[in-house]
Amino acid sequence: MVEVGVEYTKVSEIRGPLLIVEGVSKASFDELVEIETMDGIKRLGKVLEVGQGKAVIQVFEGTTGLSVKGTRARFLGKTMEVPVSQELLGRIFDGLGRPIDGLPEPIAEDFRDVNGAPINPERREYPRDFIQTGVSVIDGMLTLVRGQKLPIFSGSGMPHNILAAQIARQATVVGSGEEFAVVFAAIGVQYSEAQYFKRSLEESGALRRSTLFLNLADDPAIERIITPRVALTVAEYLAFDLNMHVLVILTDMTNYAEALREISAAREEVPGRKGYPGYLYTDLATIYERAGRIKNVKGSITQMPILSMPADDITHPIPDLTGYITEGQIVLSRDLFRRDIYPPVGVLMSLSRLMKDGVGEGKTRADHMEVSNQLYDAYARAQEVRALSEIVGKAGLTGVDLKYLDFGDAFEQQFLKQAVDENRTLEETLRRAWDVLSTLPEGELTKIKEVHIKKYYKARG
Amino acid sequence: MAHDHDKVLESIVGKVVSQVESDLISQIESSYAQSLDRLRASRASVESEYNRIVEAASKQAENLKRQIVESSRLAVRNKQLLLIEEAVNDVFKHAIARIDSIRADERYESMMRRLVENALDAIGTDAVLECNDSDRDVVDRIVLELQHKYNFSIEIGNSIDCLGGIRARSKDGSIILDNTLDSRIERMKPILKKDIARLFMV
Amino acid sequence: MVARGRIVWISGPAVKADGMAEAKMYETVYVGEARLIGEVIRLTGDTAFIQVYESTSGLKPGEPVIGTGNPLSVLLGPGLIGRIYDGIQRPLDDIAKRSGAFISRGIAVDPVDKKKRYRFIPTVKVGDELEPGSRLGTVDETPLIKHHIMLPPDSPGGRVIAVESEGDYDLEHPIATLEKNGRRYEAKMYHYWPVRRPRPLREKLDPEIPLITGQRVIDTLFPVAKGGTAAIPGGFGTGKTVTMHQIAKWADAQVVIYIGCGERGNEMTEVLVEFPHLTDPRSGRPLMERTVLVANTSNMPVAAREASIYTGVTMGEYYRDMGYDVVLVADSTSRWAEALREMSGRLEEMPAEEGYPSYLASRLAEFYERAGRGIALGTPERIGSVTLIGAVSPSGADFTEPVTTHTIRFIKTFWGLDTRLAYSRHYPAINWMISYSGYVDSIAKWWMKNISEEWLKLREEGYYILQREDTLKEIVRLLGPEALPDEEKLVLEVARMIKIGILQQAAFDKIDTYCSPAKQFKLLRLMVGFYREAQKALKAGISLADIRSMQIITRMLKAKFEISEEEISKIDALYDEMIEEFKALTAREVKQVVG
Repeated sequence: MVEVGVEYTKVSEIRGPLLIVEGVSKASFDELVEIETMDGIKRLGKVLEVGQGKAVIQVFEGTTGLSVKGTRARFLGKTMEVPVSQELLGRIFDGLGRPIDGLPEPIAEDFRDVNGAPINPERREYPRDFIQTGVSVIDGMLTLVRGQKLPIFSGSGMPHNILAAQIARQATVVGSGEEFAVVFAAIGVQYSEAQYFKRSLEESGALRRSTLFLNLADDPAIERIITPRVALTVAEYLAFDLNMHVLVILTDMTNYAEALREISAAREEVPGRKGYPGYLYTDLATIYERAGRIKNVKGSITQMPILSMPADDITHPIPDLTGYITEGQIVLSRDLFRRDIYPPVGVLMSLSRLMKDGVGEGKTRADHMEVSNQLYDAYARAQEVRALSEIVGKAGLTGVDLKYLDFGDAFEQQFLKQAVDENRTLEETLRRAWDVLSTLPEGELTKIKEVHIKKYYKARG
Repeated sequence: MAHDHDKVLESIVGKVVSQVESDLISQIESSYAQSLDRLRASRASVESEYNRIVEAASKQAENLKRQIVESSRLAVRNKQLLLIEEAVNDVFKHAIARIDSIRADERYESMMRRLVENALDAIGTDAVLECNDSDRDVVDRIVLELQHKYNFSIEIGNSIDCLGGIRARSKDGSIILDNTLDSRIERMKPILKKDIARLFMV
Repeated sequence: MVARGRIVWISGPAVKADGMAEAKMYETVYVGEARLIGEVIRLTGDTAFIQVYESTSGLKPGEPVIGTGNPLSVLLGPGLIGRIYDGIQRPLDDIAKRSGAFISRGIAVDPVDKKKRYRFIPTVKVGDELEPGSRLGTVDETPLIKHHIMLPPDSPGGRVIAVESEGDYDLEHPIATLEKNGRRYEAKMYHYWPVRRPRPLREKLDPEIPLITGQRVIDTLFPVAKGGTAAIPGGFGTGKTVTMHQIAKWADAQVVIYIGCGERGNEMTEVLVEFPHLTDPRSGRPLMERTVLVANTSNMPVAAREASIYTGVTMGEYYRDMGYDVVLVADSTSRWAEALREMSGRLEEMPAEEGYPSYLASRLAEFYERAGRGIALGTPERIGSVTLIGAVSPSGADFTEPVTTHTIRFIKTFWGLDTRLAYSRHYPAINWMISYSGYVDSIAKWWMKNISEEWLKLREEGYYILQREDTLKEIVRLLGPEALPDEEKLVLEVARMIKIGILQQAAFDKIDTYCSPAKQFKLLRLMVGFYREAQKALKAGISLADIRSMQIITRMLKAKFEISEEEISKIDALYDEMIEEFKALTAREVKQVVG
């Protein structure tokens, strides 16, 4: 028999996003709950704590308008599930997975628990397929590979969504030319931002292979706890059941963490740093770790979470804990943004941990890794020299230092900077890299082996 | 002397003239060459401009085509989804209409018994059962049969408007179990949808 | 009599059960109909608090809790090497066979295949009197590991009544019978040991042999000794995990236990994919033949993360007792501490700093105390060691947070990773100004005996150049490099050479990934030698510009990855060439002055 669910009507307390029901004898931990008000409005929630006749329920759509009297909680005998099918592509849903595109509820091939299950590390396939994004700084120095989780750390007002949309439009796996299915989860973002993304997918004809989940800024905050999980559950189905390569974009994870903090505060838990719960790391991991590849399965999930750093502070718990889980980070720089350089990627703070496995001979080019290392090294030196020249002036610099000043400018203008619709090949990216490296004397290229220098270095004068 | 003078003058004039002439010629030549260069250059730049425009246009056309093709594909698919939904709802409507007729089936009573038992187990305390008028007799019978199994009282409450099945609540109203056919059909709908839709797709 | 209770309350991994009067602290229990594995962590009256090692989603009050009578234990016997386990020693490959690519719950699997037969060679005979912990015989576990079958340390010992002759036996086959005080008992090729109880040693020895890791900044500047302790704290992106992987790959230990505690799934996969193809530079065998992995990734249940550290160290001590040098790397102890914090929070204990329980420091101390070098119990005499290396992930890269500050109290080698170095891709980003090693003096003897008498002196000189550079940099920051006299500019120049040519090491370069002690020494001699010669040259009136533009410098800097282990004598040739080039410089200078 289908479980219809027992309803309990003795609500003893409503506290923040929590509903506390008494006299509950048949409820399980993590169970999905349907809450119905006196006037028949329905909301969803889940059990956070149960025992001794009491159940603590987290209400996804918030508790505004609920009253102690007349509110009923129906325990549905299962955890939250989403319907999955290929027909989810080309559709738009709200943050809990309900259609908002005027089309009917999707016909489910299957129902999947939104919490997913951990991928067995023994069954993971190590990601090593280079994804060409057409963005020089990413392809050249922060290479993305299929199955990686690489977040964008941004700040308010910076073009993180533009960059993410450019990547979603342009990303292909070199050689195969295969395109990605895109799963986009808006988590508490402005309508206009979500709209930009949708339009961008539409204009490139990619909407047909995309699924959008939208929890906008004025949608219920607690729903944000579910939105990324719903999106990833669908992504897992597309990737691991239907063998598609899926790019998941989650924006903005800061709003997610704030919703989590709200629940934690309502439960009166001992807070960790900045009021965020002590389990924030573990909780974020249950989202970010849902990326990767599985042995003997063709599909993959590449994850690109976006988060805005409060006050551009990278040591804030949200970017900090994210960085400990993800496989690198792309950090946007306020300074470059002000100087009108797009994409404003602060390369020194950015990193792609899986790059080493996606580049090199047979994958991209033999000199790729060393060129990247040398660019980092030289740009770091250029930044140092810049700072120094502010204090002591150019006169106080050595001849080699001056070369580094020129390198810094060339790097930013010729390599880093590019147009929003400019899709560069890897060859062009590496050509530009050698162009700017060739502004330095040959002896400075200490990270590159002789063979590559002989082949690519362009002596000046 | 004068003759000589003239001669010199002439030659100077000649020289000047020829100088000017050659200057002129060279000037003309150079400007010719220049304009030729310019022409050549402009042709090249026009050509590359032309190529660029054509390339951009064809790229744009390609994008546009893609956009149009993909969005019309999407539109077709969406139309299909709507049609299937309509058909599925039709099937449900017909199924519900036929429920009354199954009341005569002998299996109906055993189904009702299961629904009542399931509800009483869940309530676990003094309970009130509600059902529609047509089911009242059956429910009466079932309660009589089952009462000995439970150490709490079971009452039959007011009639409710439903297709069949029962709704149970604890006497104090704190626990409710809606075991009507209406609510069960509603719960099963998403699961059944797939099977019904498959019939249409084949 | 085992406890049989009922669940009364559930909140995440914490479960309360009634009717548990028979339960003991730290007893393993089965929770719910699904028989999830849990551990009793507090007893109040007949109520037990249980931490559950699997997801409690769907668990209901009223479901049963059944005790096992035993504390959380691991199986110790042949078959552990080369495997990957979860935090409570369940093999992940066997879990995958049952539940596919995603981990499901309530799966009971043996840590090793007890049916597998090993060739047992007895080393005792009937009539021998054995102490507890003594060896009964050996089996070849892998081509690298001769597995010693030992009496458990808590066995009574006694006289051998019977012992199997050489032959193939499975793990359940009794291989010996012993008698003590008139009581007879059988010994098998495996036994269980509770993870929270350290395995005893007869005697602890001083750590005086360096653990060679092949990483220059570690071995040359901040070494760790076999049986020692080290911590490596660093913000994200500073290369903790890469360094841990490097140590696991190249350390000259016979057994490596790698604990991925609350870290990325792909990092464990990387080890699984890479290690079978990498060969140990000493034995030439695949690294997987000496490695045991314990993986409780960040998205796996948090309580099992807490247990994973103990599971790992207990296996480490077991191989130490066979007389092996064991290296255990735990990445990351911060995640373990967070698991502790989460459980403590659920139990509503009074928190100390940043919500961590007040017993955080004592738990850390207990863990690092399990490192050491020593003589095992019983006969024959076996000397082994467990070196503990813990990664720490301080929030916000702030080294004053509780896990880092408490860890520092209990370790002797500190490798402080620096975000700024990482940003400029100076890897490994071990900051030489804040790092230290308490083992330099005790292991210097080894270097001087095995590599060169000059080692300690050269190391001090090299280290001194780096320290001077740090002071000078302050001046440069204010006045620019041109404000310094040539002698000091030379310090900056040579410091740069040491940083590039020695400290920076490319983990992913075929040649540079491992650097033998001999090569490390030659590179050190090369750079320090350059400094000595350059100082002389400056005094002789040669300009710094001439020294800077010496052709040999670039080649010196690239020697680390251009010259392989097989041809390290080329570094000596480079050294001689460097001396010659200085001679030529001086000669030219003299000629100019004279001419």
